[in-house]
Order: sequence, then C-alpha cells, then structure tokens
Amino acid sequence: MKAVRKIFDAGRRHFQPGGRLALLAPLFAAMETFFFIPGETSRRQPFIRDSLDLKRFMSVVILALAPPLLFGIYNTGYQASRTAGLPPDFLSVTARGLWIVMPLIIVSYGVGFFWEMLFAAIRRHPISEGFLVTGLLFPLTLPPTIPLWQAALGISFGVVIGKEIFGGTGRNIFNPALTGRAFLFFAYPARMSGDPVWVARLTPGVDAVTGATPLGLAALSQVGQKIETILAGSDFSFFRMLIGHHAGSIGETSALCCLAGAVILIATGVGSFRIIAGGILGVLATGGLLNLFAGPAAQPWFGLNPFYHLVMGGFAFGIVYMATDPVSAPGLEPAKWVYGFCIGALTVLIRVFNPAYPEGVMLSILFMNLFSPLLDHVGIALRLKKRIPNV
Amino acid sequence: MITIRAKNGLDMNIPGQPDGPASRLMDMERVGLSPASFPHIRPKLLVKVGDKVRQGSILFADKRNPDIGFASPGGGTVESIDYGPRRAINAITIRVDREEAREDRGVLDRHQLAVLSRDALARHLMAGGLWPLIRSLPFRDIADPAFTPPAIIINLDTLDPFHAEPALYLDGSAGAFLFGLDALKRLAPAVYIVACRKEDTLPPEIRGLVTHRVRGRFPADDPGVFLYYTRASAAANRCWYIHGRDVVLLGKFLSSGVYPVKRLVSVSSPNGSRHVLSRLGAPLALLAPEVRNHDTHVTIAGGLWRGQVAGPNDYLGLYDAALTLLPAGNQPEFLGFLRPGRRKPSHWRAFLSALHNDPLALDAGRHGEERACVNCGSCAAVCPVDILPQFTLKSVLAGEIEEALAHGLLDCVECGLCAYVCPSKIELTFLLRQARESYYREQQAVGERP
Repeated sequence: MKAVRKIFDAGRRHFQPGGRLALLAPLFAAMETFFFIPGETSRRQPFIRDSLDLKRFMSVVILALAPPLLFGIYNTGYQASRTAGLPPDFLSVTARGLWIVMPLIIVSYGVGFFWEMLFAAIRRHPISEGFLVTGLLFPLTLPPTIPLWQAALGISFGVVIGKEIFGGTGRNIFNPALTGRAFLFFAYPARMSGDPVWVARLTPGVDAVTGATPLGLAALSQVGQKIETILAGSDFSFFRMLIGHHAGSIGETSALCCLAGAVILIATGVGSFRIIAGGILGVLATGGLLNLFAGPAAQPWFGLNPFYHLVMGGFAFGIVYMATDPVSAPGLEPAKWVYGFCIGALTVLIRVFNPAYPEGVMLSILFMNLFSPLLDHVGIALRLKKRIPNV
Repeated sequence: MITIRAKNGLDMNIPGQPDGPASRLMDMERVGLSPASFPHIRPKLLVKVGDKVRQGSILFADKRNPDIGFASPGGGTVESIDYGPRRAINAITIRVDREEAREDRGVLDRHQLAVLSRDALARHLMAGGLWPLIRSLPFRDIADPAFTPPAIIINLDTLDPFHAEPALYLDGSAGAFLFGLDALKRLAPAVYIVACRKEDTLPPEIRGLVTHRVRGRFPADDPGVFLYYTRASAAANRCWYIHGRDVVLLGKFLSSGVYPVKRLVSVSSPNGSRHVLSRLGAPLALLAPEVRNHDTHVTIAGGLWRGQVAGPNDYLGLYDAALTLLPAGNQPEFLGFLRPGRRKPSHWRAFLSALHNDPLALDAGRHGEERACVNCGSCAAVCPVDILPQFTLKSVLAGEIEEALAHGLLDCVECGLCAYVCPSKIELTFLLRQARESYYREQQAVGERP
C-alpha cells in the first residue's frame, strides 16, 4: 500500500499543469483513485456522506456480470471445441473460451478507454466509472466470431456517438453498449446474424461452422408447425435454453446466469427490480395475448409458450443488464414499470411480427431509451398535479 | 390527536448517543454571539468594544426590521468584535463579570398576558431578544411580526441524532412551556404541538396537549415535513414554527422578565457523549476540548444533519442544542471501493454492513469523488417531502426556477438526506438551498413578502 502510494506521489508532478504529461491528468487521476479513495472531508451540509460511491456502484454491476461472463467464456470454448472435434474437458474448454473472448474484452476496454481518455482530456473532466460496465457489456453481446476490428469500431461508435457527443456519462439517452451493438448489427449484418456466426472457429481453413440459435430455428418455422416441437427436435428443451449451453452471443445464452446477476443487482439496490419485473410481465402478457390468436392457420410464433420468450435469445441479458442502466432508463418508479413492460412487449412483438430481426430485445431497449424522458415527463406532470403548490 | 405517517426519510444506527444526567458547566470567562448563525438577517451593530452590557441587552438588530433585537448571552464588557470577509460580523465576544448584571424586562402573569395586545406581546418578545426563536416556513427566516401566520407548529422532538429527548428539557419546566404556549396562541389562530417519539415520557400536563403525532424516520420531526402532510391548501404554506425547548424559554422569559441563557446541550464525540447543562454563547472549545483538533475532527454545531461546521473560536448559538464531533475522514483508503465493507455505514445494500444492524461510526469524509448524476433515484427515495431532487436540481441548473418551484423547491426541508445518499457525491442539498436563497433574495428585492 505504501509502495503504491510512493509510485503515485513520485509520478504526480508530471501530470500536473505544466508537467510533461499534463494532458493525461485524467488517466493519472483515474489510476490513483482506483487505488486510493481520496481522503476528503465533505465541505457542504450535510457533513456526512454515504460510503457508496460511483466506483462501488459500478463494481456491483461488474460483480453481477460475473456469472454470464464466466459461463460465456466456458460456453464459447465448449461450442467451438465441440464443432472442431476437440476434447471437451473443462479446463481446456475454458482455456479456449478465454482465447476467444479475452481479445474481444481487451479490444473493447482498450479502444473504449482511449475514447474516454480523449474526451476526458479535452473536456478536463474525470474519467467516469460507467465505462467499466460498458466496456464489459459490449463484448458479451457480440457473436464470438466477430472480427476484432469490428468490435473496435462498435465500441468506438457506442462510446463516441452513444455517449460522449451527448456530454458523457449521465447525459446520454441511449445505452452506449447497445448503441455500439446496434451499429454493428446494421453496418455488418452478415457478421451479426444468421447461423454461421455463433460458433468460433478454432482451426483455420475450416469453413464456417453453423450453430443454430433457438431464435434462428424458430424463425424458420412454417405455418402449421409448432415452434416448441422444432426446438425440441434440435435438442433445445426449455431447460437447456434456461441453462444456455448452446451457441449464441457470448454472454447472453444463459438466462439462469442472468437471473443470478439480477439477484445481485436487486439485492444491492443497484438495479431496478421494477424494470426487470416489468419486462418479464411485458413478455408474458404479450406472449399470452398472442396465444389467444394462435390457430392452425396462424404463424407458429403466435402459439409459442410465452415463457420460451424469456429464455430464448438475449432477452434475459438485455432486461437485466441493459434495461436497468439508470442513465438511459426513466427515473420515476412508476415509469420504470411501464418502461420495463414496454421493452418486454416490444421484444415479443418484434420477434413475432418482424422475421428480419429475430432478436427483438436490442431494438426494443433502444426504442424505449428514446421514450424514457417522455415517460418521466408524463410521470412528473401527474405527480405535480397532486402536489399542493408552494410558491 | 391526529397520527401522520411520514414516508421516506432515513434512520441510522449511530453509536454514542448521549445518555444519563447532564453535567453542569455554567461558569465561563467569555461568552459570544455570532450574527452569522441567524439565517437571512442583516445585522446592525448596537454596541462597540469596551461597552458594558447586561445579560439580555440588545447587541445588534436586524436592519430589515430594527425592532427585532438579538440579546447578549452574558453580562460584562464587550471584549472584541471579529469581522470576517466583507465586514461580516463573525462574533461578538463578551467578558463576563463576576456579578452579571441582567436586563429586567418586567414580569408578566397569566392575566396580564391575556389582556396584552398581540402587537404589544410581539414587541415585548422582540425587545427582549426572544423573537428570533420563532421562525417562518419555507425559508426558515425569523418570523415577520407584521404577518399573522395560518398556524404555529411546535415540534417537541428532534430526530437528528444526539439530541436530548423532550422529557429531559421539559423536566421541571412544564409550567414555563405552558406559559410560552399561551403566548404563542396570541400570535396565531392555531398552534399545533407535534410529537414524534413515544409521548408517554412527556409530563402529563403536556401529553394531553399534543395535537399531532408524526411517525417516521428522520426528518419526520421537521415542521416542513409536518406541514407537507397536513396542509390542505397553499394558504397554509407560510406557517411559523418553534421548537419545544424554545417554548420553555419564552415562558421563562415572560414569567421572569429575564433573558434565559441556560441551555441543555448534547455533546457527542468519538471519545464519549454526554449532556451538558451550560449557557447560551458558551465557547465550543470549553464544551468539548476536541474542537481544538480541527484537522482531525469536524465539529458540527446544531445537529449531525442540519448543523453548521464550527471552529474552536465559535460559541454556542441560539438554535444549537447539540454539538457533534466527527473524525475528519481525510485519510485515503486503499482499494476502498473493493472492500467488503462490514463496518461501512451505508443506505445502500452494496456493503456487507447491510447484513447486520450494529451501530456504525460515521466520519465526515466524502467517500468518493463527484461524478455526473446517473439518475439512480436514491435521492427521491429518501426525500421526506416527495421532491424529485434529481429533476429539481436539473431545472435549477438550467435556470428554470419556475419549474423548480413547481417541483416543490420551497417544500425542501434541507434535511441533507439527498446529498448523503448520492453515489455521485453531488452537493444536492447545498445547490437546492442556494437556489432557495436566491429566490428569497429576489422576492425581497421586489418587495414581495416571501
């Protein structure tokens, strides 16, 4: 501890105004405050302050991301090993998973951090901890076959266009990680959808291996078929989709791991249970409503058991980690219910009515991000109506 | 009796609540009075260094209403007048004579009080230096005697930690309280007596007079919170308020004609907490010697949440019933945000301390750096008067004062909870208060009654 202190004390002068590295002062401050919470007495009333700061707040999200991250690493390695015919023992699978996933995370953090740093230096404001979350969320939403340069481009778009041009953390209207993913989705659709992208290739020269996802399979259903039967035919039982032991985006396959994350977020109060519960309600209500219109001549999607929507695709990951981003979500508690519900409902509607985008959760979260100021506005107007004025 | 359940707020389990009988500390060489401890006033000095004053002599008046006097906490000689920046008067120090002379304002009995006109009573209290005890919502300014408020709210309790319970300051003073109450009834058409904690410790003659019971966490004791829950229309917004212990002082003054200076103070420091029976204007360094170590300690006069930072040269102010000393919290913490935090006090459940309910010591550290608002909503979740501080602050920062007022800016009771819970360490309380003050000054400038 003292040794670390010494390093910072020795280096500080270079980063101070007039020093050789004065432009990198935000980087120095970010490093220093990572190791030492500054010992400052509060100067304004009240003179006591909660022990929680934004670093801790964001670390809780990172902690909640651990289950899907760790499972994602294992699963990515497993899927790749299986199709390459390599031994599926736990250690080697995990090592291969790390080999595939770590470069993406490193690129995401590295490139994103570069942009954060650049804007912090120009604006002379501190580097925000929010990026620790964005930089990890983003790679977890990508297919494992994504080229690193595309990942770099995606996180750049997410940080710069999704956040910094609005003024940085706290002022962005869209979730930066999802903005980056949406950019890649529309800019490089071949790399972000279809069957060949979900399993990483371990042996060069081999053609793309296809690993169908539950959503991809469901999209192929014909009138008169039942999606549950198609899924079961490819060994996608409800339970298997809940566990997430199948191909898909790195972090999003396991609804169970997302549930574990949700428990952490809700227990610590960092994530809003209203958004998550609202989202689940939205899926079940909309899915259930569509069930009423299901018939032999209808699209098979109408008859899908609504609980399947919860475990298919990225809904669980999206509603737990993306929708609960407090910055882009509404701030009023009733509005959070509506926001979550609409995300759930829209996810189902996009899946059912728009076969071009089998994954609806990304678009529905971004869409509702756009509406969250409106939800707050309406919520505040309703509150103020009840308030006895004091002017 | 009407029971009100106040939502939100915050209760913390803080060690070191003072307990037991009060020790006595009355003899001191010097006492002092600081005009800066009164909100909004513009002091006009009426004494100079070397003047002889009596206990209860008027030291300065408020330029806005020169009838409102501020009385000397001791009899003796004006030893010094300290000026701060821009000639603001920091403190007037009086060297106390061995035999203190007292100003005699004349004894009133119950019958005389009943026939005295409202104006004459107000003038009597103003001349006696007691009027500043009565304050008005929403700006917490000293009450304007020319205005008849819709009601006066008497709060018996203080939920701000470390304050003495009503039973302690009412002990043996129930008669004075009732006399003060009679006087207050002459000033406003209604007087509400509000209790927060169990009423069974109150003296029986007062227990029966309690009109409202507010149940809830801190700051359910605040008159602003009481008003928020009880007002039926905007007409009730400009109520006056006074604390129960000050009603006792009113009664003592009216019945004896002498300016009462005796005060029960709760002194709490990491070295131990105690009640002290002392006097108004007592040097803080005498009440708690730790005040002198102001590098390692922060001294808060007037309560943990709402008090002001005081220095070793300050004196016990008119509104201060508690003196709280906290460790300064100015040591950097190695990898602080990664620690499990079993002993870290927090409103959030992000530390292991959420798993137990043991008392946790506080310090005055900021525990992090200021960041942008992430709209976490914790400020709104604790706000006792249902303001949405995050949105109100945004309208304040955008200069939309009308919008901020519509949000309830004037309902803000300045309890400090929003700034306490904010993970981004935004000075919510300070910024909202600043906005209220600038609105107040604007109103005064155009000559409107705020």
